[in-house]
Amino acid sequence: MTERTKAGGSTIIRYLDVVKRYGAFTALRGVSLDVHAGEVVCLIGPSGSGKSTLLRCTNGLETIDGGDIEFEGTRLARDDRGLRAMRQRMGMVFQNFELFPHLTALQNVAEGPRTVLRMPLDEAERRALAMLDKVGLADKAPNYPSALSGGQQQRVAIARALAMQPDVMLFDEPTSALDPETIGEVLNVMKALAEEGMTMVVVTHEMTFARRVGDWIAVFDAGRIVEQGPPRQIFDAPTTERTRDFLGHLGWTG
Amino acid sequence: MTLDWSVVWQHRDALAQGTATTFLLTVATMAIAVPCGIVVAVLRLYGWSPLRSLATAYVELFRNLPLILVVYWAFYVLPILTGLGLSPLATGLAALSLNVTAYNAETFRAGINSIRRGQVEAAMALGMTRLQALRRVVVPQALRRVLPVLASTWVSLFKDTSLVSVIAVTELAYVSMQIRAQTFRVLEMLTAMAALYWLLGYPQAKIVDWIQRRWSVTE
Amino acid sequence: MNFDFGVIADNGRFLGYGVGITVVLSLVSGLTSLVLGLVVALARLYGPRGLRSLIVLYVDSMRAIPVLVVLVWTFFALPIVAGVTMSPFAAALIGLTVHLAAYAAEIVRAGIESVRPGQTRAALALGMSRAQILRRIVLPQAIVRMLPAFGSLLSVTIKDTAIASVIAVPELMRQSETVAGQSFQPIEVFTFAMLLYFLMLYPVTRGVDRVYRRVAHLGRS
Repeated sequence: MTERTKAGGSTIIRYLDVVKRYGAFTALRGVSLDVHAGEVVCLIGPSGSGKSTLLRCTNGLETIDGGDIEFEGTRLARDDRGLRAMRQRMGMVFQNFELFPHLTALQNVAEGPRTVLRMPLDEAERRALAMLDKVGLADKAPNYPSALSGGQQQRVAIARALAMQPDVMLFDEPTSALDPETIGEVLNVMKALAEEGMTMVVVTHEMTFARRVGDWIAVFDAGRIVEQGPPRQIFDAPTTERTRDFLGHLGWTG
Repeated sequence: MTLDWSVVWQHRDALAQGTATTFLLTVATMAIAVPCGIVVAVLRLYGWSPLRSLATAYVELFRNLPLILVVYWAFYVLPILTGLGLSPLATGLAALSLNVTAYNAETFRAGINSIRRGQVEAAMALGMTRLQALRRVVVPQALRRVLPVLASTWVSLFKDTSLVSVIAVTELAYVSMQIRAQTFRVLEMLTAMAALYWLLGYPQAKIVDWIQRRWSVTE
Repeated sequence: MNFDFGVIADNGRFLGYGVGITVVLSLVSGLTSLVLGLVVALARLYGPRGLRSLIVLYVDSMRAIPVLVVLVWTFFALPIVAGVTMSPFAAALIGLTVHLAAYAAEIVRAGIESVRPGQTRAALALGMSRAQILRRIVLPQAIVRMLPAFGSLLSVTIKDTAIASVIAVPELMRQSETVAGQSFQPIEVFTFAMLLYFLMLYPVTRGVDRVYRRVAHLGRS
């Protein structure tokens, strides 16, 4: 039973046998996966299994050694300019937020539109304020990151990525560096985004989120996808030993 | 313009003497300034109030004065203050020591302070006295942090010895410039002086880099 | 022991001129060494490999050679080599700039390298070019981190101008020497000079401390 509810939409990202090596260590051993428009694809698995690596290859922060990545039907660019153009249509949220400390929340969110999209300042700031409002932090616009909690910083980071109006949002363990109390506020923002129909690829350890919000789950282990399918399959009736082991270790009782 | 580089070779003995004096000054100054620096640092951290202020004033004073001025001042003032007729060498040594002690005091103070409170608390929780904690837990760790800075101070000091040439101490700079004055071989002698300092100083700088790499503290 | 500080009043303008020269020489050489240092640091970080080794040689050489030697060589030997004549002030400016720029370059380099790579990745993810990242994200943070080191470099600069007395630049140290020599009152004159230098230097260190404490959070990523 591997029905894929949103497979009807166009393919936003296609990973074809992606291989990535770091010296003698192979982080990705031929990973194939499709991401369709409007889908929330969650990548789960033990640490070091290659999930974050795949994400970083998606927007060219890392270059692949084998296979292909297609974004909106075209192969991932290799030249600087082409790559930058593609990155403008992808939003990325990092585990460590990586807000720019010398800019206020508003300036952080406006930075992309201003510098990359070359929007005039007032227009960029208007859009930034709207994005901050969307994540519930309009009142924190004039604050510097040092004055914000982890959860607030991550929400600003999401707003910063959204301000570029991307076609897909890439989340690299967005809640792993957060205190338990603030994880909820970030996951809620992500859930709302998903409900609006944003295409999302999420590397996460938050299994409840993956089960409730995910449309398609890919289980990673040692550089390969050992199983992929809808949440109901992965979490309730996994078909592979590895998946069962992994969920068992996490104390997943469903 | 004819250059005669043989002047350098002809005066090699004098230059060697000058180099030796430079090294002597550096070593002697450090020998004085390290223990004195520790004393001043401890006074600043643990001394009772008037001593603490005095130590702080001393450090702030000498860190905010040009060394060359201290050298001149020492030359004129020390004989009057101490009633002794000090040789230029001794005067130079005194000026350098006063200066470097202040920097070392700051280095040691920062080194000791950089050891987290928790370390001392843990030591005392084991039942150590404050002094034992200092000796067995703080100082060994502080030494690791302090060594790279001391090495760097050493190299600066080596260069600063050139300043005591202004009161006719026969270290390398003075000797070189004397030879220049006597032989009129300006370009040759001045370049030789620069080259000698380079030959002596470059390896020292590299050793400091090595020390900093090896003993750098990452938390 | 008889101290007569009237000699100071008598030579007020002369000494005041020295202070002026000290200030001008400090500020100008501070600025030029900063600019040169920035150029050298960027060349070292982003330039071609051959240039890099030359720069390392330059920086390490300035760590080995005393300021006194650099100034004396610039004033007496450089004219012979280059066939130009230069005033003591010009020689001091050139010598100080070349010497201090090496230290400035190291400060800039350390500042830039201390900005977390994650910041660059986040900026790349937004689609920024390398030049934009350097200008808008890395340098602003690096500059904040460099402040304390530049503060102490400014302090060093002011102190190094006193060494220019050796090549007869009429800055404060030199003027003091002249007055001390003429009046036979070295103690009063040099003590006064010490006071003046202290009054110039102490605020620099304290001031930089203050400014840094307020802006430090802007550099912490």
